[in-house]
Amino acid sequence: MAPRLGFDDVFEGDELGPEDWFLAKEQVRDYARANDICFPRFMDDEGARAEGLPGMIAPGNMSMGLLTRLIEAWAGRGTVRRMGTTFRSVVLPDRTLRLCGAVTQKDEAARAVELDLWIESDEGDRLVVGTATVQLA
Amino acid sequence: MPLEFDRAILGQEFDRVEGDPVTVDELVAFARALGETEPCYVDPAHPELVAHPTFVVRYRGRKFLPDTLPDPLKTRMSFDAGKDIEFGVPIRAGDRISVTSSLHDIYEKTGRSGSMTFVVVRFTIRNQDGALVGTIDNRMLYKR
Amino acid sequence: MILDLHLHSDRSDDSRAPVESYLKLLQRKRDERPLDGIVLTEHRQFDPSRDFRDLEDRYGIRVLNAAEVETDYGHMLVFGVNADILARFDFADVRLPAQEVVDAVWRLGGVAVPCHPGRTNVGLCAHYETKPPLAGVVAVEALNGGSRKGEDERVAAMMAAHGYAGVGGSDAHLVSFIGTVATAFDADIRDMDDLVRELRAGRCRPVDFRPQRTPAASPA
Repeated sequence: MAPRLGFDDVFEGDELGPEDWFLAKEQVRDYARANDICFPRFMDDEGARAEGLPGMIAPGNMSMGLLTRLIEAWAGRGTVRRMGTTFRSVVLPDRTLRLCGAVTQKDEAARAVELDLWIESDEGDRLVVGTATVQLA
Repeated sequence: MPLEFDRAILGQEFDRVEGDPVTVDELVAFARALGETEPCYVDPAHPELVAHPTFVVRYRGRKFLPDTLPDPLKTRMSFDAGKDIEFGVPIRAGDRISVTSSLHDIYEKTGRSGSMTFVVVRFTIRNQDGALVGTIDNRMLYKR
Repeated sequence: MILDLHLHSDRSDDSRAPVESYLKLLQRKRDERPLDGIVLTEHRQFDPSRDFRDLEDRYGIRVLNAAEVETDYGHMLVFGVNADILARFDFADVRLPAQEVVDAVWRLGGVAVPCHPGRTNVGLCAHYETKPPLAGVVAVEALNGGSRKGEDERVAAMMAAHGYAGVGGSDAHLVSFIGTVATAFDADIRDMDDLVRELRAGRCRPVDFRPQRTPAASPA
């Protein structure tokens, strides 16, 4: 798939989003089923608390999927070459997440950019932080 | 006490598994669960249907951890601390995906969760043609 | 002068941020984050050979070098790292004895500042609930850019109880978060000697440049 966004049209400091996404519990369950990871922590509050968690949580991988969606909405499909994330805190569903990104570096030779990425809770705590390398046109 | 282990176990392959052919339903269910609406990810009849890039995280070995993992870690609960993914060729319906697992690193540090040991398991993921679909470094956190 | 006293570059294992990218962002966001300098505080290491003079000249921003170490009372920022301090402590040790760090760093010409002291269970505040307070601490990180709700508020009470001065640091691991929290000094900070002098005297105060958060849109 060809990148939609041109390298020459992007500048250090450009922001992606932010996008506010309400993460419903049913969406988390759908994701768990689609990944064959129907562990109690991803399916209901009671199951999660039995594991010592405050309530049902979203899989860390799901956060990466949401951030990839943010990138592709900006740059086009198939543009993410690398993504690294740290799961700083559990992501609790039935809350609004804020998906954020920013361009930090441009690589002229590769026509690629480095991005900062992060997900904030509805109280502004950073739940997931990371970076990505994105190929542009 | 610092965790003691034989560093020779690092880099050694401890598991290899090949999965059944990827189905259209699997591709579509995964993408829809992420809220995707792009037809190439969610329309089963799309001529260019392809996996969402992070579909690659579905793949793991039969054994997530090697038998050579230091004994003090074997009985402790672990938490997913994060991942580093290098994306390769896209996955399409019908692909047969193989996963090779190796223990990439073990290190200690302290942080929000107190004293922690991190175990990094690397998945090298290829399709039936041997093309690299992705490399995933999984950072698992063990609290002391 | 205003400096961000706590941040990590690609030398730290959990950051990919080049130092130059930090400076570029500060140049772009000068109006929102009016910093005069930054202090690199890499995890569990210190490289005395790092030379930032070229970057300082190009961007007009001071770049100093310190370290973040791990102790039995939580993490500490060590300013004024020299050969004697490096010979005394293995910065890679995740269980350094905090009182010895505070005492020896001071005696050898530096200053150790407990960072993110408000972190639940692992910060200095939590340690003070069950262990004797450390002697010789003069300042703590009152504002940390990575703190969660309530953590920095907890620190204010401890500072009042023990008479600690406060500093601020972004604790940036991503380029985007540099300078969101920093420390203000009335004196001119030209080098690490100046910084150590002012920190030891407690002539510092945290400053907060974090933007006001806009509320999320209501779910459809």
